[in-house]
Amino acid sequence: MDSASTPAAAVPPYAIELVGITKRFGTFTANDGIDLRVRRGSIHAIIGENGAGKTTLMNVLFGLLQPDEGEIRVDGKPVVMADPSVAIAQGLGMVHQHFKLVPSLSVAENVFLGMEIRTRGLIDHKKQEDRTRELSRRFGLAVDPTERVGLLSVGIEQRIEILKVLVRGARTVILDEPTAVLTPQESRELFATLRGFANDGMTVIFISHHLEEVIEVSDTVTVLRRGKAVATRPTSELSKSEMVRLMVDREVSFARPARPATQGATVLSVRDLWARDDRRHPALRDVSFDVRAGEIVGIAGVAGNGQTELAEVIAGLRPASHGAATLGARDILALSPASIRNAGLAHVPGDRMVRGVDGNASIASNLVMGRQFRAPWRKGWLLDWKAADVEATRMIERFDIRARGPADTVKRLSGGNIQKVVLAREFTNDAPFLLIDQPTRGVDIGAQEAIHDEIMRQREKGIAILLISVQLDELMKLADRILVMFNGRLMGSVDGEEADEDQIGLMMAGVAQSQVEAAA
Amino acid sequence: MSTRMRAFAGQLIAVLFALALGSVVILLVDESPIRVFTTLLRGAFGDINRVAGTLLQTTPILISGIAACIALRGGMFNVGVEGQLFLGGFAAALVGFAFALPPGLHVLVALVAAILAGAAWIAIPAWFRVRFNTNEVVSTILSNYVAVLLTSYFTIFLFKRPGGWSETPPILSSAYLPELFSFSRLNWGLVIGLILAFAAAWYFRNTPGGYAVSMTGSAPKFAEYGGVDVKKRGFWVLIVSGAVGGLAGGVETLGVHHRFMEGFAPGFGFDGLIAALLANGSPIATIATALFFGALRSGSLLLETDTNASREIITVIQALIILSVSAQVLLRRRGDAQAGERRWKF
Amino acid sequence: MEVLTSLFNVALLVAMLRTTAPILLVALGGSFTTKAGIFNIGLEGQMLIGAFFAVLGSIWTGSAWGGVLCGVAAALVFALIFALLVVSFRANEVVVGLALNILAGGMTISLMKAVFGTRGSIVGRGIVGLPKVQIPYARDVLGPYAQLISGYTPMVYLAFVAVPLFVLFYRRTRLGLHIRVVGEKPEAAEALGISITRVRYTASLLCGLFAGLAGAHLSLGYITMFTENMSSGRGFMAVAILIFSNGDPLRVLAGCLLFGFADAFSLRLQTFGYPSYLILAVPYLVALTALFALSYRARPKLIRETAESMRRFLRAETPSDTTRPS
Repeated sequence: MDSASTPAAAVPPYAIELVGITKRFGTFTANDGIDLRVRRGSIHAIIGENGAGKTTLMNVLFGLLQPDEGEIRVDGKPVVMADPSVAIAQGLGMVHQHFKLVPSLSVAENVFLGMEIRTRGLIDHKKQEDRTRELSRRFGLAVDPTERVGLLSVGIEQRIEILKVLVRGARTVILDEPTAVLTPQESRELFATLRGFANDGMTVIFISHHLEEVIEVSDTVTVLRRGKAVATRPTSELSKSEMVRLMVDREVSFARPARPATQGATVLSVRDLWARDDRRHPALRDVSFDVRAGEIVGIAGVAGNGQTELAEVIAGLRPASHGAATLGARDILALSPASIRNAGLAHVPGDRMVRGVDGNASIASNLVMGRQFRAPWRKGWLLDWKAADVEATRMIERFDIRARGPADTVKRLSGGNIQKVVLAREFTNDAPFLLIDQPTRGVDIGAQEAIHDEIMRQREKGIAILLISVQLDELMKLADRILVMFNGRLMGSVDGEEADEDQIGLMMAGVAQSQVEAAA
Repeated sequence: MSTRMRAFAGQLIAVLFALALGSVVILLVDESPIRVFTTLLRGAFGDINRVAGTLLQTTPILISGIAACIALRGGMFNVGVEGQLFLGGFAAALVGFAFALPPGLHVLVALVAAILAGAAWIAIPAWFRVRFNTNEVVSTILSNYVAVLLTSYFTIFLFKRPGGWSETPPILSSAYLPELFSFSRLNWGLVIGLILAFAAAWYFRNTPGGYAVSMTGSAPKFAEYGGVDVKKRGFWVLIVSGAVGGLAGGVETLGVHHRFMEGFAPGFGFDGLIAALLANGSPIATIATALFFGALRSGSLLLETDTNASREIITVIQALIILSVSAQVLLRRRGDAQAGERRWKF
Repeated sequence: MEVLTSLFNVALLVAMLRTTAPILLVALGGSFTTKAGIFNIGLEGQMLIGAFFAVLGSIWTGSAWGGVLCGVAAALVFALIFALLVVSFRANEVVVGLALNILAGGMTISLMKAVFGTRGSIVGRGIVGLPKVQIPYARDVLGPYAQLISGYTPMVYLAFVAVPLFVLFYRRTRLGLHIRVVGEKPEAAEALGISITRVRYTASLLCGLFAGLAGAHLSLGYITMFTENMSSGRGFMAVAILIFSNGDPLRVLAGCLLFGFADAFSLRLQTFGYPSYLILAVPYLVALTALFALSYRARPKLIRETAESMRRFLRAETPSDTTRPS
């Protein structure tokens, strides 16, 4: 339009235009007619809750997914992004949330991987290092090209990923949650770099949850909610609370069920807990809290802020590096998973298909796990499969599992029904403490309601429940108390009755509770 | 039920495909496939004596196969059955000729010695596997060579029968495994093997421990989450597998050879492993596959005299069968196929 | 003292270099698959089939090099089947490798019977062995030590010259780099458009090439004959070496020299009247001991690393934010 009205303008002002992008997965619409125009030389932030469609949109832009409808324009010209190589050829570069670097190779080797500089057929390390050094100086991304990547910190790894993008000639850089893994100092350095890009006339698209950062670094903000672009404004015109209001969908908030106060003695007590993730980076930092009988304590937070590790440490599946945790009267940090279960844990794991079930086994067999040494599953020395079948049939009815029968293979069931198999097993263990990680991930709405009812029923029975969820509405509906987790730390604690989405959202974004309350 | 039928049909197609490929190999060595296969059949099942001979060959394959099954079910590879079989065979022979015990008890003690020898032989690889994640495939394969040489050394340098070939003195008749029929050397070893197969299947299916082992093999993370001590189970699975491997050797010594000699039971351990793989880790199905391989072996004796093909052509056929089975979806990933039986109730 | 000098002398070193060569060749071959992230237990079979066809080819063509070519071709066929099943069909690599080993054993014996009508071994019958390379002037310059560098078959030279070339290959060539990346971080390769399938096929075939050369050296090198299962576990030892060397050429060389030494030394011991069976077991025992000892050693390193990163982290973290929220 712009170019049509002013034919003299050589370059249209928008580097990237997405017009009416729709992407469906089965019946689920991840992107619903999204329009997005990104001005050249600007930093454009895209914000939204988990599942709002940010990553899908970026994958469509980068050619990793094909849109069902809509058009992508680069510098005003329509482009079909058949695969990432097209996007790269169009001058786009993407820095993924999970880095794809080879630890044993040097920085320069990683930067030039797949487009090695060769002289006389052999890779010219010297030249690659020189070019890396040159690029790193030009864009202010300090790296030592000769160092092994495996020895470097996450912040430097990210610089390498950005260099990889730059060396391939990107003029538009897309960053997916770039600060999720960075320390505040590293984030600040990153922002300075991005600002430098924009000043050089490059374009930056920046996906984030962290509103403060968005305000600090971006020129324009687009807010996504449930697959739709609900607003695009200059960042300076939006306040933090306005952003939260735009991000959070208030229409479908669950009604909070009435609840009797049934709180009893402390069942789980966690003190000063530290642990690290699989890459040995600290994932839990100094976490302390209690869960009492008849209480649902919710853990809110953006995925990947230490919730998984917390659940695994409590279940004995991951060692803690420091701290204490007691269940009942027993210190559980040194115990095996079996002993923790004996001490009174039941656990609905977050990664259902890996930890929660054996997909190739029958429902009856899956319902036996962890109880093979107990009645009624065990009779004398033996497993009583008849009793297990009877038990399974009962569970299928009681938890409304849609299956052909106890012998049905779990893999065949839908996500919601597989989750019900896990719940059926864990909720019938009569354990005084229930650890529930993402109870309704990948579960349809109807099953969600049923699962929520079941959790409330457990609470009424006086069971202590730790409920971890990335869905804030779920926690606001169920929890008596919500703890907010950010970067491995508890940012604060909010009473379930008085919980305010905006405040929790800010804490999820890394703002301390004291500041949030002062602002309110 | 239909899943199982489909799995079985898939296995059958793979075997037929392998036999077709085998025919090509047979043509390559200048023989007629039809003649080879009919000779094999005749050699395996031609008359009652031959059937008994087939069953005689089946016995060590079956017991070795059960040994391999046990490991596979727990998600482990015991490629060292061959070595355990040699040591078990030697240990049984040693007890058989060096001690005089009452009949019955003598057999029992000799078999226990074989079991202990097999278990001891796998103990170090097993321990390193669970403690330091040392690849058990390589360590058990390499220990096979040591086992064969070590037993040869024992036989020839320490316990050689005076004036004999490279063999130990014969065991006392009190240590003989009783024969089943008068016309054949077929003995109670086969019964031991069958009992073992059913016992293993029964254990995996009907006991809490068997359930824990199976889950360790088929879904290790799930088992760990459910409170199964995955490492401990893994260790004991290998130990028991080694013990059964030793038993296979003991049965062979006490039932067939009545002495230990060099080159005592070549390839039975590997045949057992292949039988277990073909049976997808199910002990009951291993009875069938062991019988199949026993028949091939027994039939191959006639092959040598009646055709131009060598008896090793059956090894080729066996390998082709495993290759074509492995190409199927059934034997796909570690922890899935390798763990064998994926459906619980059968 | 006298025993020692007659044990450790130039001849022992020469024997060591000779016995190292075949295992070095096959282990270098395995280094391709190891680096590409494939556990290749089928080296043994590839080597055996290579040895057999090398003999066959040398008789057919009347030339040792014709034999080598045949041996390599046969090993390549096995490598191709391996790659097809493991890479394309995603079959279990242990199962496929073991089956191919068994296939090689059965096939060589069957073919031996079919072609030569014998069992056990093929000797004479016009097998042409590989020539020995005499390095000119070696004797004049080095005197009695000349045999250290001169008079080996070309395969021995090839094996040792290959080691620095392998180092160069992994460090300086595109394919070498991509093989490493595919083994270490396949998702990185994928993201950059490097085809994992193609790289793994290439690695498997290169592995077959070297296994075939190793096999040819076995049957046409110092002894010109083929015997049943003549690879006698060298392929498995190579796999053990590959496990603890992680396929790095220099460490592969070190491991292979250790085995070469164990092999040569045990052969030497045999002449002193030690029981041959125990002595023959020495190389296998060395392989097992190395495998166990090195996996044991790997552990403290992990603990050290964790402790180190913990310390680093605490130093960096504690001063700035020790306060607990709320």
